[in-house]
Amino acid sequence: MTDYILPVLFLILFLIVTFKNIPAYDYFTEGAKGAINLGIGIFPYIAAIMIAVNLLRLSGVTDCLAVILSPVFNFLGIPTELAELTLLRPFSGSGSLALLNEIMTKHGPDSYASRAACVIMGSSETVFYVAGVYFASSKARKLRFAVPVALVSSLISVVAGCFLVRFL
Amino acid sequence: MLIGVIAMFFVKPQDTLEGMIDAVNNALKLSFSLMALYAIWLGILNILEQTGFNKKLSVGLRPMIYFLFGRVSDTTAEYISMNIAANLLGMGNAATPMGIKAINSMDDQSGVATDAMIMLFVINASSIQILPTTIISLRTALKSASPADIILPTIITSFISTLSAVLLVKIIIKIKNRKRRREYD
Repeated sequence: MTDYILPVLFLILFLIVTFKNIPAYDYFTEGAKGAINLGIGIFPYIAAIMIAVNLLRLSGVTDCLAVILSPVFNFLGIPTELAELTLLRPFSGSGSLALLNEIMTKHGPDSYASRAACVIMGSSETVFYVAGVYFASSKARKLRFAVPVALVSSLISVVAGCFLVRFL
Repeated sequence: MLIGVIAMFFVKPQDTLEGMIDAVNNALKLSFSLMALYAIWLGILNILEQTGFNKKLSVGLRPMIYFLFGRVSDTTAEYISMNIAANLLGMGNAATPMGIKAINSMDDQSGVATDAMIMLFVINASSIQILPTTIISLRTALKSASPADIILPTIITSFISTLSAVLLVKIIIKIKNRKRRREYD
């Protein structure tokens, strides 16, 4: 079903455009031109963030943190198996997807840990990456409380997810 | 990055540069694929702008936008409504370029993020995804008995996280305003 949403929307748009006699081709190319500058503008920030994340992972800092913080996480109802995922999720989308795969292979896809991991993965975002992409092309460099709030709300989503999966 | 380099110094100094190059390689790939994505969506967005479709959409969403973001300009309201609509339809990749346009149009060039910019970022960073397709296909691949049974908890959870993010931002703004008012008195 959802496979059809996008094509149908495009179809409607193009039909309207043809019907209304709008020079859609010119408008499309005009808009698409902006993509190159946007991509180039974002690149250095993504590079810096990814270097930081990769070094933290390679050096094992995230693993250590997972071990240190697991009592805190247990208190919040987050099982130890999911501590590393919780920590990695805001930093790396592909990394946490790989970790999710690992958790599901190890515990079986229908176990509690795996289902909770799926919910965590689906209900949160790669916060640092989103911050880089959204603010990179603006002049704002002081983000004030933006990232902390996003991190707290993704922790809330982890706690809520672990809780809900027990019943649903 | 500093912590990362220091930690690498103690653990695996020989892998430091390689790890950095790997990361930048990924960043390059990502930038390129984002460019492709942006080209499509910014093109479509421009057509929508010229046909006046997003004006209609933003008029419908205006009460909600004013409540969340305060008084924003018409162009900003249009970009924000496109961003939120794309998010709700599960087109996360379409939402990004529109969100970036919205952020840029709210920028006051002061180098400090405004309340409205933070609100938009937080909404996008807390994910309002409706169908976690990647995860469902991964579950199917690993032979889950019911790959889709995580949809309901995922929707509820992402609703909770977005709601908590919006409330947190609202509360922080309120506290800050009160402090400022007290300083003026």
